[in-house]
Amino acid sequence: MRRMKGAAAIAAVGVLVAACGGGSGSKATPATSGAPTSAAAATSAGAAATSAGTGGASSPAAATSAATASGSTASGGTATAIGGNFKPGGTVVISNEQGQTWPCQFNPFNPAVNSEADGFVYEPLVYVNALKNGAETPMLASSYTWSADQKSIVFTIRDGVKWNDGQAFSAADVAYTFNLMKKNTALDLYALWTGAGLNSVVAAANKVTLTFNQPAKPYFYNFADQVGIVPEHIFSTGDAAAHPDTWADKAPVGTGPFMVNPCTPNNITYTANPHYWMPNEPHIQKVQYPAYLDNGPANLDLATGKAQWGSQYIPNIESFYLKKSKDNHYWFPPTQNVYLFPNNDKSHPATANLAVRQAIAYALDRSTIAKIGESGYWPAANQTGIVLPTFQNYFDASALSTAGYDKPNIAKAASLLTGAGYSKSKPLNLTVITITGYTDWDASLAVIKQELAPLGINLTIQDLEQQTYDSKFYDGNYDLAYGGEASAGPSPYYELRQVLYSKNSAAIGKQANGNYERYLNPAVDTLFDQYATADATTQVSLIKQISSYMIKDVPVIPTTGSGDWFQYNTSDIQGWPTQADPYAQPAAYIVPDTGQVLLHLYSKAAQ
Amino acid sequence: MTALLVSAPTTEPARTSRRRGGGLWSAIRHNRKAMVGLVLFLLFCVVAAFPGLFTTVRHPNDIAYQPLLHPSGANWLGTTGLGQDVYAQVIYGTRQSLVIALVAGAGATILSVLFGVSAAYLGGWADDLLSLFTDVFLVLPTFPLIIVLATYAGKGSIAVVIIVLIITGWSFGARQLRAQALSLRNREFLESARVRGERSSYIIIFEVLPTMTSLILANFLGAALYSVLTAAGLQFLGLGDPSSISWGTMLYWAQNQQALISGYPAWALVPGLCVALLGVSFALLNYAFDEISNPALRPIRRARGKRAS
Amino acid sequence: MRYLLRRLGFFVLTLWAAMTLNFFIPRMMPGSPLQSLRDRTHNKLSPAALTQLLQQFGFDPHQGIVVQYFQYLKDMVTGHWGYSIGGSLGEPVTQIIREALPWTLGLVGIATVLAFALGTIIGIVAGWRRGGAIDAVLPPVFVVTSALPYFWVALLLIMYLSLQTGGLLPNDFNYDQGLVPTFSVAFIRNVLWHAILPGTTILITSIGGWILTMRNNMITTLAEDYVRMGRAKGLSNRKIMYGYAARNAFLPNLSGFAMSLGFVIAGTILVEYVFNYPGLGYRFYEATVSADYPLLQALFLLVTLAVLVAVLLCDFATFWLDPRARAKG
Repeated sequence: MRRMKGAAAIAAVGVLVAACGGGSGSKATPATSGAPTSAAAATSAGAAATSAGTGGASSPAAATSAATASGSTASGGTATAIGGNFKPGGTVVISNEQGQTWPCQFNPFNPAVNSEADGFVYEPLVYVNALKNGAETPMLASSYTWSADQKSIVFTIRDGVKWNDGQAFSAADVAYTFNLMKKNTALDLYALWTGAGLNSVVAAANKVTLTFNQPAKPYFYNFADQVGIVPEHIFSTGDAAAHPDTWADKAPVGTGPFMVNPCTPNNITYTANPHYWMPNEPHIQKVQYPAYLDNGPANLDLATGKAQWGSQYIPNIESFYLKKSKDNHYWFPPTQNVYLFPNNDKSHPATANLAVRQAIAYALDRSTIAKIGESGYWPAANQTGIVLPTFQNYFDASALSTAGYDKPNIAKAASLLTGAGYSKSKPLNLTVITITGYTDWDASLAVIKQELAPLGINLTIQDLEQQTYDSKFYDGNYDLAYGGEASAGPSPYYELRQVLYSKNSAAIGKQANGNYERYLNPAVDTLFDQYATADATTQVSLIKQISSYMIKDVPVIPTTGSGDWFQYNTSDIQGWPTQADPYAQPAAYIVPDTGQVLLHLYSKAAQ
Repeated sequence: MTALLVSAPTTEPARTSRRRGGGLWSAIRHNRKAMVGLVLFLLFCVVAAFPGLFTTVRHPNDIAYQPLLHPSGANWLGTTGLGQDVYAQVIYGTRQSLVIALVAGAGATILSVLFGVSAAYLGGWADDLLSLFTDVFLVLPTFPLIIVLATYAGKGSIAVVIIVLIITGWSFGARQLRAQALSLRNREFLESARVRGERSSYIIIFEVLPTMTSLILANFLGAALYSVLTAAGLQFLGLGDPSSISWGTMLYWAQNQQALISGYPAWALVPGLCVALLGVSFALLNYAFDEISNPALRPIRRARGKRAS
Repeated sequence: MRYLLRRLGFFVLTLWAAMTLNFFIPRMMPGSPLQSLRDRTHNKLSPAALTQLLQQFGFDPHQGIVVQYFQYLKDMVTGHWGYSIGGSLGEPVTQIIREALPWTLGLVGIATVLAFALGTIIGIVAGWRRGGAIDAVLPPVFVVTSALPYFWVALLLIMYLSLQTGGLLPNDFNYDQGLVPTFSVAFIRNVLWHAILPGTTILITSIGGWILTMRNNMITTLAEDYVRMGRAKGLSNRKIMYGYAARNAFLPNLSGFAMSLGFVIAGTILVEYVFNYPGLGYRFYEATVSADYPLLQALFLLVTLAVLVAVLLCDFATFWLDPRARAKG
């Protein structure tokens, strides 16, 4: 159960998986492992191109600013308390099961620990809200300006910001952060220097200029939102300077609203940063982040109100959590799909057969899968690939119903399958791979297996360790795979492009980078290419066209939604993100959104 | 699980009379612990062989009911989080646990006999070598080893689990059997067989082994108990096949859905109770065999009891 | 002397065999440190960066397997155990073990030794008063408890002593979250409070074995000629019980104890898992599922070493206590 949430967590962390851009890693893996990771290296050249595209266009909001041509500026240059004017006070306890004790490391460049550092201690230049069409909140940069060719961007760095050790923050720190990533490729988590074409980062007075080799707007989200800015005076000395990638950073110095004080293996205590630059922020004075090894106790603490901010699976949530208190609430905003990936490659003739894929897509009752497999926590997905209700305005309901995918159609599925030469008496045997410990997926697959059985499709469910699963999945060695590794983003474009763009694919045996089903369609590629430079309205119509290929070719079969786990208690703490006010992604494992949530929270008792 | 594995080597090598099957049976019949164990065991065997006699459900993994029903007339133990009948799963789960116990127990016992008896009988450097080998396996941390092997080598496959259990479960028995076989080495009946010019393999199989029946059986029971508990533990940790029907897997799902905390104790506790009962049946039989093979341990008649105290 | 040398030889050989297995098992399994690290870093790093990181963590993927093997042996022996590439990415393995070990030693160690000591004493009494009240009740009861699965007993205890008492006894962790470890009375009381349920679980499931073994040994020994001889000589019961019978019955139990430490570790994993007790057992489980080879290797080594040292100590103790063993040597 501990990894129940894993599916969502892993997928959500890197909103744009732009990795694999490193050029030179063409040496094969250690002789010690028999695993075919050499594929990873082999794709790198192609992947660099790929990842450049993965970013694709920016969010609709950014697209709007593109339309107003060169010198657009993010709104709001003045520093105001974003959560409103409340008196300080109160403690928030986070219940987000980790399955391990805290290593008490806060290096923001270490992807294994940075979700406890970013947002709390380290801040980005601009916060971009993936739940709200990419709405921007200026953070360490008070404004920015793109050049006309979108190859360079100038950030105006906020005045009066201090590091939590009292030293002054400046534009030099920003430039230092980016240049550190150039010097150490392991720090460049979004392949900015290798994939996005970042060329130079220069600070002058209170301005920082990032210059790229190519139009770089697609990467705004990565470099402005995902990179936490670090202090030069800390990172340029001692162990931090020697090994910035593995340095433990036990007492992180950042600009964020909280500082670590203290951390034990059982619990991280964050206290309000007295030097914080936003006036009257943060209202909350203390955050406790206990290390739960398992869902059980973490959920108990939520149910009893001992913890107020939950971010994990709770079985039976109505009776276990909601009924315990009128102040207990939950909100699970879906941001992406979970798919049944059929292998489209010719080497897997059964699943490469369109009729078979269509039959499966017609046969599945997605609402049952969502209801039983995902306990109704996530909505059913649909064959257009548009996540609802998050991306409602991109959804083409009539296209879906015209094709008959709006509800299960067993008769049609059976006739398609008969046409393909399979029936109850001549069954089609397929194996579907999934990840050990993702019990919601196991449950969903149990439902799927039962739904497909009457058609004459015998599904064998194979639970694999994450690593084994990954190498099979990435390399295309499977018939069917259950997966949801696609990345969320501020529009459906991000996820669909990753899954469908042909450059994200690879030959069987080579590591693909999102297009694991090996769907190759130049027409779809063209649509994606057009999206990057299109205006907002055109973008919507492009997405709808891409959806029509999802319906026509059934490259992948979306089954359910997935996204942020979020439970919250309002007896004392107020200001939580809600469906009505989705000011940030609410799960405690999504950074830097945690910082936004913490800035909005306040204690009722302290008022 | 420590206990019963430890017990035998310390007991004085039995003063064995060359008792064959018939004697064993009458010994069991007159031992209450053995009878209880045997009845339990046979009951599980019947359930495993004919699950259809005990439930009308034929496909216990089918999602046929509402999820999370409390126990009722229709679903005696309620339903799982997916909507499967818990009682039917318990019934059908018997088979896998029993198969694992018997096959792994038998496999481990065969290895024990092979290594232990040969070492004792051959003596000399062969004994040294085989004993060293046994000792190495004895001190290796087995359960972690099992976890590692079961996780990476064909997850969930019963065959893999059984093989792993055999590999890690034979060494203790081998030591015990070696000890007893050593005490037999110079007995007259073996001497006479040697004088007759029989081959070593013949002597071991037809002369030595029959005298060790009860210890071998006790060993088998110990290994079976170890296998039941270990396999259930593995599955409980989620290292089995989550779509298989077995008690350990049921416990995994129940734990996963936090059945205990959410108020579904039947789902969480009954499969564990079954594991425990099967384990108890082996343990009782094993304990009884200890008594049977070691006359000193037999329940005492009054007169002797007085003298002893 | 020859006997001691033989035991030392056995020690070294076994250790070497265990370490070799330890080296090859992870390498025969699917997956690799590179893949593990890729998963751990959420697929965010390029292969080049991953390789660079791995090298920092002490892996050189380009070395031959033989070189790696000898390097590994050297590192293990010299205590260079590397860095975690699992959940605690980048944390030195020695540091992780240093944090987890005291908890396991404290909880499992004490509970096991307690079970052994109590079990042995009860076993002596039961064996001595053959057919008495204790002997009539306890052995059958403990036959049953020793066959119970650890985790099931743990679940029962959680259900009835923690949940149904409204959390009277904590069902997880080594101390209350939010407490900072200090050597204060309050903290130590908290730690003990948290140890009750897991400790009880270990006690319940393991004590039965010791009772039964000791009782049986006792009875067998009591039937020996030299005990009868002692009686004939008119020695006091007390002297016979402790000086003759118990002492000789205890020796094989002691080596059984050492040998069974490996099984104790097994129970540890399950108990620590159920009770969320952040000790070595939990780390072992975690290292396995996250393919954290450096941690896994070190833990394997540690556990094997612990069992071996215990066996060796028992051998020496037996050698010292038992004239017959000395004579054999």
